[in-house]
Amino acid sequence: MEQFFQQLTNGLAVGSIYALIALGYTMVYGVLRLINFAHGDLFTYGGYLGMTVLTSFLLQDRLGLAAGLLVLALMVMGLVAVIGVILERAAYRPLRESPRLSAVVSALGASIFLQNALMLVYGARYQVYPDILPQSSVSIFGLDVPIMRIAVVLTSVAMMAGLYLFVQKTKTGTAIRAAAIDQGAARLMGIDVDRVIRLVFVIGPALGGGAGLLVGLYYGQINFTMGWIYGMKAFTAAILGGIGNIPGAMVGGLLLGVVEALGAAYLSIAWKDAFAFLVLILILIVRPSGLLGERVAEKV
Amino acid sequence: MTKTMRLLAVAMTLLSFGSARAADSIKIGLMAPLTGSWASEGQEMKRNVELLAAEQNARGGLLGKQVEVMVEDDGGDPRTASLAAQRLSTRGVVAVIGTYGSAVTEATQTILDEAGLVQVANGSTAVRLTEKGLKLFFRTCPRDDEQGRVGAAILEKSKAKKVALLHDSSAYAKGLADEIAAILKQRKIEIAFFDALTPKEQDYSAILTRLKAAGPDVVFFTGYYPEAGLLLKQKKQMGWKVPFIGGDAINNPDLVKIAGKDAAQGFQFLSPPVPKDLDTPEAKAYVASYQKKYGEAPSSIYGVLAGDGFRVVAKAIEATKSTSGDKLRAYLTTELKDFPGFTGKIAFNGKGDRVGELYRVYAVDASGSFVLQK
Repeated sequence: MEQFFQQLTNGLAVGSIYALIALGYTMVYGVLRLINFAHGDLFTYGGYLGMTVLTSFLLQDRLGLAAGLLVLALMVMGLVAVIGVILERAAYRPLRESPRLSAVVSALGASIFLQNALMLVYGARYQVYPDILPQSSVSIFGLDVPIMRIAVVLTSVAMMAGLYLFVQKTKTGTAIRAAAIDQGAARLMGIDVDRVIRLVFVIGPALGGGAGLLVGLYYGQINFTMGWIYGMKAFTAAILGGIGNIPGAMVGGLLLGVVEALGAAYLSIAWKDAFAFLVLILILIVRPSGLLGERVAEKV
Repeated sequence: MTKTMRLLAVAMTLLSFGSARAADSIKIGLMAPLTGSWASEGQEMKRNVELLAAEQNARGGLLGKQVEVMVEDDGGDPRTASLAAQRLSTRGVVAVIGTYGSAVTEATQTILDEAGLVQVANGSTAVRLTEKGLKLFFRTCPRDDEQGRVGAAILEKSKAKKVALLHDSSAYAKGLADEIAAILKQRKIEIAFFDALTPKEQDYSAILTRLKAAGPDVVFFTGYYPEAGLLLKQKKQMGWKVPFIGGDAINNPDLVKIAGKDAAQGFQFLSPPVPKDLDTPEAKAYVASYQKKYGEAPSSIYGVLAGDGFRVVAKAIEATKSTSGDKLRAYLTTELKDFPGFTGKIAFNGKGDRVGELYRVYAVDASGSFVLQK
């Protein structure tokens, strides 16, 4: 039983990272019906930019750990958001009216470009974050849980809750939801859909970049190809929860993390990914639109 | 008809240009993972071979001609590698150095063999590569079964009663884990855990939790350094103190950077000796000139093994005054003895495997350096 709870905490930590990245996939899909394959790379950029900002400005020494990390997070999220907006401008907007396949190919191309650009700038070696975080762990009900793992989960949950409230409660959030339902109708209601799309490409990459920073800070090691595996898992999480659905991405991410950890605990470790994808397939057989995906009546 | 003739004529002209240019220099191919997950290894391979080629040219080249290194990227991927091998074989190279991963090398073996080119792999340790009877294939790295023997011997010496074996499902890591497991079974040492992690992930806490529950006295991880670094770091965070041992893919200074000095201290791994632990004058001079050219010492042993591959080929070309694959093979298998390689004395057996004990045991000390264990 102890192992079960230990694995549960392991799974929640990984799952909350998946969830943060999944939000970027799901928001872009919701508004544009486009799978932004470059999103995993934006996550990687978050990790690399975080390392650069951290080592060149030494914010934690100047402002103290907490304030330093907050400024660091805001800077990284801002920078990745800028990249996201440029990406939308350069790779997706010119293809808005083209067949969907062109946009998907463009997304794949952007992903390859971003990844290799990063390798050329930083080199192919694994990069390591400076150790600035406490490594201690606390004991909760007899389980040793590293403090940082709790911080990772809390940070992601806070970011997700913030996004949820923003989308549900503000006027701009309503505009995003309207554009996701029907772009044409939203435009007729006076919503600037281009602005909404730009905003989606600010929020998604910012969250993805924030996840990259969290991974760098917590695990300490980043690599220019790491966005691929995280991107895959997050994309799976987005589908699991119902792509296009924001709470769905959160649930899907956490669920995927936990399923993986439990698969590793009670089945073979080598088969944990297979197990996670098996769960995905089973859920999609029962609920083709994902866990929280709405059943939209077929438009004729 | 005339169209075909014209095409043929163009092709002939191009071909004759090609061979005319080939006559000016001796081309040696290098296949390396310059991109992809092993890009850091591949780029070191390139640095080593290019430096050695430049040094060879400064001494007057080979057979009175300049040496030209033709680098092809295999991306660490078997499909890309087979295309790279085909390209090299059409570009007039006389031998090919590389490549790193066993599965990747395997995809290129027959292509290069059919083209009559000697291939000297530098990091591919899977046993089967030299068991196929290919005449022109050599490797400067040892084989997994030798490493398996040394690894099992250390485990036995550590007096562990329960051993955990962890690999990463790659051909190399799985092969090594299987070798060790087979020997441990003969010696009646209990294997409490045998499973694989997924490489390139960042969170191995689920695996460590499972490992801990199995209660081993020692864990042998046969995979690569990025995962090993994270395992050590997360093991420390969990407060788990069981010793870890690793295979030769862990020999990279980045291990300590990833794990942190505290977490890496006491970790042991097998490896061919690194240049700094060889006291031959050649190795010392080489490390110095590498340092001078690139501003840092070579960090990967496999880059240096690629360099040794280049030097062996150069030596064979010089000694036989020929670039024919068969003559080079005859020289490498029968006449080359005790060649002073940077990684120790080099000679090959009839299968193309390197002869002699290569593995040493290294341990990480408190300052994060790799210390040779006597």
